[in-house]
Amino acid sequence: MKNKPQGESLEDRYLDWALFRRILSYLLAFKNWVILSILLLLVVSVLNLAGPYLTKIAIDDHISVNKIEGLDKIALLYFGILVAAFACQFAQIWLLQWIGQRVMYGMRTEIFTHMHRLPFRYFDKNPIGKIVTRVVNDVESLNEMLTSGLILVFNDVFTLVGIFCVLLFLDWRLALVVCLIFPFLVMAAKAYRVRARDAVRKNRSHVSRINSALEENLSGMTLLQLFGRQNEFYKKFSDANEDKLHEDMRALHYSSVFMPSIDLFSSIAVGLIIWYGGGRFVQEEIPLGVLVAFLQYLQKFFEPVRDLAEKFNIIQTAMASSERIFELLDTPVEIIHSQIETRVKPVQGRVEFKNVWFAYNEGDYILKDISFTLEPGETLAIVGATGSGKSTIINALFRFYDVEKGDILIDGCSIKDMNKYDLRRQLALVPQDVFLFSGSILDNIRLGNTSKEMEEVTAVVDAVHAQEFIESLTDKFDYQIGEGGKGLSLGQRQLLSFARALAVNPGILVLDEATSSVDSETEILLQKAVGELTHGRTSIIIAHRLSTIKHADKALVLKNGEIVEWGLRKELLRKKGIFYNLYKMQADR
Amino acid sequence: MTIGIVALLLTDAAGLAIPWALKSVIDSLSSKPQTGALLSMAGLIFFLSCIQAASRFGWRKCLFGPARLIERDLLNHLFRHFLSLDTPFYQTHSVGDMMSRATNDLRAVREFVGLGLLIWVDAVVVIVSALGLMFWIHPVVTFWVLLPLPIVSLLFFNFIKKIGEGHAAVQVHLSKITSQVQENVAGIRTLHTFVQEEHQKKLFDKLNREYIDKNLRVAKLYGIFSPSYIFTLGISALVSLWIGGNATLAGEMTLGEFVAFNGYLLMLSWPMMGLGYVINLGQKGRVAMGRLLEILNAEPLVNDSLVQNDRNFLIRGSVAFKSVTFSYPNANKTSLNDVDLLIPKGQRLGIVGRVGAGKTSLINLILRLYDPESGVVEIDGLPINQIPLDVLRKNVVRVEQEPFLFSMSIRDNIALGDSSADDSQILSVVHSAGLQDDIERLPNGLDTLIGERGVSLSGGQKQRVALARALLAGPKVLILDDAFSALDGDTESQVLTEILSRLDNVTLILVTQKLQTARKMDFIVFMEDGRILEQGTHNELMQTNGKYAHTYRNQELAMDMEITLQ
Repeated sequence: MKNKPQGESLEDRYLDWALFRRILSYLLAFKNWVILSILLLLVVSVLNLAGPYLTKIAIDDHISVNKIEGLDKIALLYFGILVAAFACQFAQIWLLQWIGQRVMYGMRTEIFTHMHRLPFRYFDKNPIGKIVTRVVNDVESLNEMLTSGLILVFNDVFTLVGIFCVLLFLDWRLALVVCLIFPFLVMAAKAYRVRARDAVRKNRSHVSRINSALEENLSGMTLLQLFGRQNEFYKKFSDANEDKLHEDMRALHYSSVFMPSIDLFSSIAVGLIIWYGGGRFVQEEIPLGVLVAFLQYLQKFFEPVRDLAEKFNIIQTAMASSERIFELLDTPVEIIHSQIETRVKPVQGRVEFKNVWFAYNEGDYILKDISFTLEPGETLAIVGATGSGKSTIINALFRFYDVEKGDILIDGCSIKDMNKYDLRRQLALVPQDVFLFSGSILDNIRLGNTSKEMEEVTAVVDAVHAQEFIESLTDKFDYQIGEGGKGLSLGQRQLLSFARALAVNPGILVLDEATSSVDSETEILLQKAVGELTHGRTSIIIAHRLSTIKHADKALVLKNGEIVEWGLRKELLRKKGIFYNLYKMQADR
Repeated sequence: MTIGIVALLLTDAAGLAIPWALKSVIDSLSSKPQTGALLSMAGLIFFLSCIQAASRFGWRKCLFGPARLIERDLLNHLFRHFLSLDTPFYQTHSVGDMMSRATNDLRAVREFVGLGLLIWVDAVVVIVSALGLMFWIHPVVTFWVLLPLPIVSLLFFNFIKKIGEGHAAVQVHLSKITSQVQENVAGIRTLHTFVQEEHQKKLFDKLNREYIDKNLRVAKLYGIFSPSYIFTLGISALVSLWIGGNATLAGEMTLGEFVAFNGYLLMLSWPMMGLGYVINLGQKGRVAMGRLLEILNAEPLVNDSLVQNDRNFLIRGSVAFKSVTFSYPNANKTSLNDVDLLIPKGQRLGIVGRVGAGKTSLINLILRLYDPESGVVEIDGLPINQIPLDVLRKNVVRVEQEPFLFSMSIRDNIALGDSSADDSQILSVVHSAGLQDDIERLPNGLDTLIGERGVSLSGGQKQRVALARALLAGPKVLILDDAFSALDGDTESQVLTEILSRLDNVTLILVTQKLQTARKMDFIVFMEDGRILEQGTHNELMQTNGKYAHTYRNQELAMDMEITLQ
C-alpha cells in the first residue's frame, strides 16, 4: 500500500516533458556535436543497410543472368562501404562518449560548486551519503542514459525507418504485406515493456533490500551473534532472497516469451513474403534479387524492435536520477558578496557584537541580545554550561548562519557587508572536534596554500610545540593520515589543528576547547601552544578548562543564551560572582 | 538443466533448417512452382520457426532459471557462513570488501554458470553444424569465407580484456571522486572556515578531467572494437558474395545454395564472438569463485571445539583473569599485558582509565569475542573455552557506548534480548532503562521504526534501548561499557540506581570515563597501557593518592565548574 503512490509518481515522471527538456538543455551547449553525431549515426545505419542491397544487385544483374564482369566492381564497392562504415562508426562512438563525458563534467562541476554555496542548514538536515550520491552516482546514471539510451534510440529508429524505406523502394506491395504484422509487433513490445518494467523495478527494490540487509547484518554481526539470533536473521535474509528470485523469474519469464515471439513475428513475415513474393516472382512481376534482398532485410528489421523495448527502461531510471539532481541544484544558495574591497587593509582585530539575536529554528532564540566588545589583541574567555549558546557565538561570527537581529562588527565594519571569503580569511577557528583530511601532515597544515614554504610550516609547527610528535612519525611531514585522522591521538590532532590555524596567521583567533581529557604531558604542551596562538592576537576562547580562564583579559559568562557576567577579568573578580567562583576553584587546587 | 540443453539443441537445429528451407524455396522458384507449393513452403518455414520460438522459450527458462536458483542458494549459503564466522575474521575483513564479494563476485559466478554454459553449448553446436552445412554446400568457398572469422574471436578476447582493464581504472577513479566529495561534505565547516572552496574546486576539477580521460580511453577502445567486429563480418560477407557469386556463376552451386550459404554465415557471427566472450566470462567467474571460496573456507577460530560440558551448564557469575596477555589480530601492540583479576559472583566492579588503556579488550575477552594469546579467562572457575558459546553469551551481556541497533521497531530491537518476552516484561525493562517517557513521545510508541542504525534516535536514547535489550536477556553478568556516556548526569544516576536495585546478585562490570560513577561500585580497577595500575575501593584508591585520585580530583573540579555555571 505504502509503495503505491511512489510507483505512480514514477509513471508520471516518465511522461514529464519539462524534466526531459531540462535534461536536453544540457546537450544544447554541444548542439552542433550532437547533430553531427546523429548524422554519423544516420550514415552508419545507411551504410549497414547497403550490404543486402548490393547482394541483390549481384544476384539480379550478374549471378542470375550469368554476367561475370561487374561483380568485381560490386565487391570493391562493398569493401569501400565497409571501410567507410568502420570509420563513421568509430567517430560516432567516440563523439557520443565525448559529449556524454563533457555534459557529465559540466554537471558535476555545477553541482559541486552549488554544494559549496549551500547554507549550513542544508548540511544539518541532509546525511552525507545522500549528497554524495547526488554528485557521483546520479550524474553517472544520467550519463548512461545520454550515451547508451537517448542518442542510440536514434540508431534504432533510423535502422527501422531505413529498412522500411528500402523495402518500400524495392517493392511497395511486398512492403505493405510486411506491414500486416506491425500492429501485433507493437502490441507485443508494449505488453513486454510494461511487465518487464514492473518486474525490473520490484527486483531492484529487492536487491537494495538484500544489500542493506547484508550491510546491516555484517556491520552488526557481533551483536546478533552475542544475542544468538543467527537463525532468525537468516530466515529474514533468505526471505528477501526468495522474493528477489521470484521477480528474477518473472522478468526471465517475460523475456523468454518476448524474445522468441519477435523471432516468430520475423518468420511470419518471411513466410508471408515467400508465399506472396514467391507467387509474384512466378508471375514474373518481381526479379529474384528483390525477393532475396527482402528476406535479408527482414532478418535485420527485428533487432531494433527488441532493443527499443529495453532502452525505454534505461531512460526511465535516469529520469528519476535527474530529478534528484535538479532538486539539489534548485536548493537556493547563500549570497556571497563579491565586491572585493575590504581585503586590502590588514585586520586590526576589533570585534563587536551589538544586540545579537539568533535562532536555528524560528522563534527559539539561542542567543538573546548579546553585546560585547573586544579591542585588538585582547583575549576573551567565554564560559557557560552545555547548551548555553557558546558555539552559536562562533557560528554567528564566522557567518555560518546569519543572525536574526543585531549586528556583528569587525574593525567597525559589519560582517554582513563583507565578502564572506574575506571575512573568513581574517579569522581562524580551532574547532572542538578536529577534522583531518586524508593526505599528508603537511597538506593538513597548509591546506590549499600549497605555495607556503617549508620554513614557514616548520616555524608554525615549532610555535605550537608539534615538532616533537611529527618528528616521531615514520615519514614526518609526509606521514599519510588515514580517513578521519585514524592513527593519531587526540592530543596530536589538537596540535595539528593549532598549527593549521597559526599557519594562516589570522587577525582573530577563535578556539573551541576540547572537552575530552588528554594525558598531563600533552595537556601542558597544549596549554603552551594556546599561549603562543593567542599572543598579541585578538582571541576568543570557549573555555572548558579553568586554567585557560587565568590568561584571559576579558570574560563572558553565558546562561541560556544570555550574558550574565561580562567585563575585564579583574573587574569580574572584584564582583565576586560566578566568574569569581570559577576562578577561586582554580586557585584552590 | 537437461531439458534446457535439449531445447537449446532443438533451437539450433530449427535455426539451421530455416536457411535450408529457404534454399529449396529459391531453387524451386526457377521451376515455376504452383501457389500451393509456395504456401506449403511458407508453412514449413513458419512451422520451423514455431519450433524455434518454443524451444528458445524452453532453454531460456531452463538454463537461466537454474542459474538464478544457484545464485540464491549460493547467497543463502554465504550468508549462513557469515553468521558463523567470529570476531577476529570480521576485524580483518572490511564490510565493503565482503559486500562486494557477496554481490559482484556472486554475479560473476552466476553469469558464468548461466550465460557462460549456454553460450558454450550454443556456440559449439552452431559453429560445428553451420560449418558442416557450409562445407556440404561448397568447401572451397567456405574456406575463404572462414578465413577472417577467427580474427573476430581473437579480437573480441583481446579487446574485452583491455576494455575490462579500462573499466576497472574508471571505477577506481570514480571511487576517488566519491571520497573527495564525501570528505568535502564531512569537513565542510573546516573547509569554509579556512576558505578552501576554490582550492577544493580545483582539486575536484582535476579529478574530473582525469576521469574524462580515463572514460574516453575506454570509449576509444570500444570505438575500435565494435566497428572492427562488424567490419570483419562484412569482409566475410564480401568474400562470400565475391567468391561465392563467382562459384554460382560457374555453376558450382545453385542460387538457393548461395542464399543458404549466406544465411549460415550470418548465423556464425554471434557464436564466434560468443567464444571470446565465454572465455572472458569463465576467467571472471573463476576469479570470483576463488574470492567466494576464500570466505567459505574461512573457519571461526573462536569455537566450541573444547567444550565438554553439556548445554545445561549453569553460569553463576564469577569471572577471573589469570595472567592474560592479548593483542588484536594484525596489531603491533599488546592490548592486555599479563592481567590478573578476580570478580566474585554478584560483585560490582568499576573499570576506569584513558582511551586505549585496555578496558574494552578486557570486556571482549569475557564475552569471548577473541581468545587470549596466553593465560586463561575463567567463568565460575571453568576456562571460558570449555563453556558452550551460546550458553556463555546468553548469560554474559554487554551494553556498548555506541550500540548497534537494527532497522526494526524499538520493540523488536529490545526483544533481541529475549524473543519470547511478553509486553509486561518489555515494559518493565523499558521502565528500568528510563525510556518510557521517550517512547510515549514517539508516533507509534514501541512500534516506531527507528531507521538504519537507529538514526531517528538520539545517542542517549540508543544507549537506553540497548540497556533495555540487555536487561531483558536476564544476564548473570552485565557489562556496561561506557554505556551511559550520552546521558546527562541526572538521568545517568537515576538509571544506574534503578539497575542496581533490579539486578541483585548479578555481577556488574561498569566501564566508564566518569569516576564519579565508578565510585558507586564495590571496587575499582584503574587501567593504563594494558595493565591494571591501581585496584581497590574508592576510598582506598583516594588514600593511595595515585593516578586514580589525581584524575578524580580533576573531574570533580570540572563538575563543580559545570554546576557553578548552571
